Amino acid sequence: MQQRPEDAMEEVEAAAGPELGFWLAARRRLAPDDPFFAAGDLERELLAKHLALDLSEDDRNQLEKMEVASTCTVFCPIAGCGAHLGCLEDFEDHYVTRHSASCSVCSRVYPTSRLLSIHVSEAHDSYFQAKVARGFPMYECLVEGCGVKLKSYKSRQQHLIDKHQFPKSFEFFKKARPSQRQRQKSQRRPTAHKGEEARDNSMDVDGKGTRQTNWKYRPKQHDHKESKENERQHQEAKENEMEVEQKIDELTSAVSKLSTADSTPANVTFGHRRSRGLTFVPRSIRQNKQPASQPEAK
Amino acid sequence: MLLVTIAFNLSLVRSLVAVHNSASSRRREHAIAVGKERREALMRAKRVCRAPLSGSDEAAMEEGDMVIDEEKANLEARTTQAVEELKSALSTQGKGAQKKKIEVLRALRRLLSQSEVPPVETAIKAGAIPLLVQYLSFGSSDEQLLEAAWCLTNIAAGEPEETKSLLPALPLLIAHLGEKSSTLVAEQCAWAIGNVAGEGADLRSKLLAQGALWPLARLMLSNKGSTARTAAWALSNLIKGPDPKAANELISIDGVLNAIVRNLEKADEELATEVAWVVVYLSALSEKATSLIVRSSVPQLLIGRLLASENLQLLIPVSSDFSITYHSFCIFTVLRSLGNLVAGDAYMVDSVLTVGNSITDQAVSSLIKCLKSDSRVLKKEASWAMSNIAAGSFEHKKLIFASEAMPLLMHLLATAQFDIRREAAYTLGNLCVVPTGNAAPPNIIVNHLVAIVNGGALPGFINLVRSADIESARLGLQFLELVMRGYPNGQGPQLVEREDGIEAMERFQFHENELMRNMANGLVDKYFGEDYGLE
Repeated sequence: MQQRPEDAMEEVEAAAGPELGFWLAARRRLAPDDPFFAAGDLERELLAKHLALDLSEDDRNQLEKMEVASTCTVFCPIAGCGAHLGCLEDFEDHYVTRHSASCSVCSRVYPTSRLLSIHVSEAHDSYFQAKVARGFPMYECLVEGCGVKLKSYKSRQQHLIDKHQFPKSFEFFKKARPSQRQRQKSQRRPTAHKGEEARDNSMDVDGKGTRQTNWKYRPKQHDHKESKENERQHQEAKENEMEVEQKIDELTSAVSKLSTADSTPANVTFGHRRSRGLTFVPRSIRQNKQPASQPEAK
Repeated sequence: MLLVTIAFNLSLVRSLVAVHNSASSRRREHAIAVGKERREALMRAKRVCRAPLSGSDEAAMEEGDMVIDEEKANLEARTTQAVEELKSALSTQGKGAQKKKIEVLRALRRLLSQSEVPPVETAIKAGAIPLLVQYLSFGSSDEQLLEAAWCLTNIAAGEPEETKSLLPALPLLIAHLGEKSSTLVAEQCAWAIGNVAGEGADLRSKLLAQGALWPLARLMLSNKGSTARTAAWALSNLIKGPDPKAANELISIDGVLNAIVRNLEKADEELATEVAWVVVYLSALSEKATSLIVRSSVPQLLIGRLLASENLQLLIPVSSDFSITYHSFCIFTVLRSLGNLVAGDAYMVDSVLTVGNSITDQAVSSLIKCLKSDSRVLKKEASWAMSNIAAGSFEHKKLIFASEAMPLLMHLLATAQFDIRREAAYTLGNLCVVPTGNAAPPNIIVNHLVAIVNGGALPGFINLVRSADIESARLGLQFLELVMRGYPNGQGPQLVEREDGIEAMERFQFHENELMRNMANGLVDKYFGEDYGLE
């Protein structure tokens, strides 16, 4: 094992499997000024000064704290976070508090509330889909601060790859990995229902929660077998899209039936006073939810 | 925490009594005020000289009382005055001149050694250094040299800038290390130099350039215990690097290795401690030194001491009648030097610690003893040393696997602080992999892997995967790879899943480090792909 993370990373790159670093049992040498030895050095000084006797429990704790603090600067490694953590032990709490935003509809988990809200808009909001269908650029760039909006999922993906060096395999919305039960069920079902089943899966909240559905990356095309799987997924994805598109068509026609150009109120208000038969109010407005992006006519 | 016993000689006890009695009550009052300053001073690699050197006439005469509640302003005023008198005494001629000089030096020295926080800054501002340099001139009496060097010692124990101010004094201090000097003078000068060396790499290279290494090495051969000990301590500060040049030079000096061996054989534990520190730095920085040391009797001596040490518990408070004695021998000095030797030269594990030799059993036993202790330092550094032995031959792995170390390591992996957990992880993982030189997927020692996983190690490794520390996360992922690839009957992935391993790996999707992302994704793709769960 290497002694410095940078060296370690180089080793990982050079390893046979391109992504997989393998365990290498090797002697690890440490420099005398390595932070690893800081605690021992402190003990040495205290003992040599015969002052360990004199120190109160409090003094000792303070000293250990000082020593730990001097060697301990941890920053949260989740992209875009950069939070400074007092010590490594704090990271888990921080992660659970800040990076476990979960979708109440499909239980996918996201590391920031912004990404969660983008997901909710894109995956569960028919209003969003309606705007997309009308040609508004609704798909936000995932990189905070970029601000670019694209008209389709695919073009947003391309933007991420082109402008922000995301890997080509990155998928923000990946089909949920079905639970074992589901998979066994699906083996027995006829293929015609594949698309539907895929949607079912995405709504399926597995009681155990271990197979949760925030898997974003497509499998690499390592071998023939896997690329076949990819094809299958593409197929399913297409079927999904088709389903969604159908739904959108239905929705937009329904919406267009409801709202007549003249009677659309200038301000949409809650409550019944001015609604005048406009019973359909987009869910996002009804719930006073701030949409991930304000639609802009571009 | 560490309990170490210290053997006092009488004068030291007396001064410590003096320190303790008058200090304890007043110290409480001033605790907060000096707390921070004191703590920082404690952490430094510099040592204030509070008591006369053993064997000096002063030792018999002095009954120094710690001056605690001197108001700062008063202390500063007195110091400034003392320096003034230093200056005027220089120009004094005639009969009482020598006596006068000693008096003024002593006055300053007392202020610098008996105040809880020595008024170093004041002394420097008042111009003490150039004056003290004058008092160090060749031909001065021993007493004068001693007092002047003592003042400089304590000035050098201060803040970095204060230590640096000793630059003009260095050539003379080094000169007085010579064999023509009295032992006491040489010892005091060595102390001052040790403090300067403890400040930083720049000062170290200055001292080396001016030729401090050789005379200090010679002093380490002294028959007088305290001199050898001070010299060894000063040397350890001088060679600690990061430049390995000094370490390489030191080992090249004739007789140094011999001196080290002889001092380690002696009963004087304080001396053995400081010499062991020299071994620590030699083995950490100089391959030449490591190579020579591992082929000498040093490893056996170190392991013997480690095994023989009685208890590794925390120091208990001094009782009022001082009936408790202490050994100042630092167990972890030995542990660290051993750790460095094991890490630094393959010869140590391959040829010295051959499986079957009693020294090997002793080494493993002594490491196990450290793993059992309450001391964080001992547990951490012993785990590290153990991990390097576990990186040795198949025989070594079997030896450790069959030993008492296993349940201890498993327990540490599950419950200890982060840095210890990581070392335990290294050890356990190393036990699962056959030694191999190439980068192909390493062969797994299946029965070791199975035992470790069945023993409940997976959660510990998965916790490492969740860590914000990249090295640990990588370690955890690599172990998971072993499990998923090597656990019999393809059960690995299920076991990992059961412990929320997938969730842990999926955390890497938005990790800022691309290599980690790819590594985690690769594993999930490979072992939890479409076919997962289908039988």
